Amino acid sequence: MKHDQAFVIQLANQLMFTLSENEAREINEDFDVLLAQLDLLDDVNTENVEPMAYPFEDETDFLREDVVSHVITQDEALANVKVEDAGLIVVPKVVK
Amino acid sequence: MNKRVQDKWTMEDIEAAIRHMHQSHEKLNHVVTFVDPRKQLLDVAEGPFHQVPIALKDNVNTKGILTTASSKILSDYVPVYDATITKKLREAGAVVIAKTSLDELGMGGTNLSAATGPVLNPYDLSRISGGSSGGSAVAVASGDVPFAIGSDTGDSVRKPASFCGITGTKPTYGRISRYGIIPYASSLDHVAFFTRNVKDAAIGLGVLAGRDDHDMTSSFLPVDDYENYDANIEGKVFGVLKSVTDYIEDARVLALFDQLLDKLKAKGAIIKEVEIPYNLMKAVWSTYNILSNCEATANHSNLDGLRFGVGVSGESVEEVMTKSRTQGLSFYIRRRFVTGSYGLLQENQEKLFKKAQRVRRLIVEAYRQCFEAADVVLAPASGRIATKLSGSDSDPMSDESLIVENWLVLGNFSGYPSVTLPMGFVDECPIGVNLNTLPFTEKQLFGYCAAVEEVTGYADMVKEVGKDEL
Repeated sequence: MKHDQAFVIQLANQLMFTLSENEAREINEDFDVLLAQLDLLDDVNTENVEPMAYPFEDETDFLREDVVSHVITQDEALANVKVEDAGLIVVPKVVK
Repeated sequence: MNKRVQDKWTMEDIEAAIRHMHQSHEKLNHVVTFVDPRKQLLDVAEGPFHQVPIALKDNVNTKGILTTASSKILSDYVPVYDATITKKLREAGAVVIAKTSLDELGMGGTNLSAATGPVLNPYDLSRISGGSSGGSAVAVASGDVPFAIGSDTGDSVRKPASFCGITGTKPTYGRISRYGIIPYASSLDHVAFFTRNVKDAAIGLGVLAGRDDHDMTSSFLPVDDYENYDANIEGKVFGVLKSVTDYIEDARVLALFDQLLDKLKAKGAIIKEVEIPYNLMKAVWSTYNILSNCEATANHSNLDGLRFGVGVSGESVEEVMTKSRTQGLSFYIRRRFVTGSYGLLQENQEKLFKKAQRVRRLIVEAYRQCFEAADVVLAPASGRIATKLSGSDSDPMSDESLIVENWLVLGNFSGYPSVTLPMGFVDECPIGVNLNTLPFTEKQLFGYCAAVEEVTGYADMVKEVGKDEL
């Protein structure tokens, strides 16, 4: 698979961060090793094998009664927010 | 200090532990936050941890106490709630004296990526502690505390335990609640912990285990009386994982392992070889690399600089998020996220992500089959002692890199319980052996570990770092 610095930066941007030119170059240089390692997956025949998402498939979740529980206060919810006003998180204007 | 969890602790001991930790931290750099224990000391519960000083990895939420996950982006994050395990330990009488360093967000195996700098190995200050739970490993190994919490997504407790000469316990997936732990990869994350002996590990699991409705992966199965394990191994089959030992390059590590097997045999154990097909073992790292990084990118999408964590101002919401994540996450983490982003590209979701999930199932099935021939499966936890801080130049495609240094992830893929404990020394640095059993059989596993501990004589090792160590 072909890859270059622009491709690596595009992958980063999709996750909402950027890379410097040096960082992108370094990741791009290592990409062939990553691809060679990932090729090892193809040495395993997975025909008719279901994906395994979790170690165990026993049910451990449940539907609880629709009653209020485990409440935190508004102050607690906003305790780590940098800028808040009247109980709301302040962000840059979305509609300009 | 070499007191154990099972010993009687006093208030003076807690003060001594805090002084000890301050001194060792100057050499080892393993603490992110020293916790002022005065508020806790007003109300110390009776229980198996009564007045026992402990440390928590800094990805464990502690109400009102800074919790950074060793990441710049969370460098001012103060949780408004306790993790379930924080509560359980406090209810058992434990006193939290420190939050310890980790590889940033738990993503690494060296502890070199922590925002507060590398954690050093008490046995050789030029070597790594291992990670990602390096700070907690070092706190126990250097004698600060007898018990410290870590988390284990690939081998993040069991590998540093090997490098630091202590016991690292990763119970079955779902055995301990993960509620309040800053996640890495949800299908692989486990709460795990360090002690200096097996009995303390059994006591610890007794406190931590149990169903928690706040963690939907938490098991409903009853909690065992782990302390009543049976260390008699007469007739028990110890399955040597040949698929690992075949690729260990350091003959000294293999010699230590062989000596251990001889001693176990002398105690009545039956030694057999068990195996997993080579192509599956060779794919272990790739499977882990894709699954863990893809899951991590989703879990860490909440690190946006808006709701919590360090935010960088910008002209738009997108700019705030992008700047906050770029400046708040180290290059090491962003590099891993690029792998996750690649695995989640639309054209790769079947080819890589789903493929890795299918390979995972086959690996786990082959691993399970090993237990048809053996009561316990074991191999050296690593092919080498802790590497130098300057890094290693091993070939990333070699069998040793791909298999030997990553086989512990079988415990995370499968969720089966897994314990590392000391096996011996190479170049005056410790190296561990790792033992595994079937799910929810920790009591039996502790019995096998106790037998190992008995024949090695390596219980309760402490490596003090006095002033003459530098």
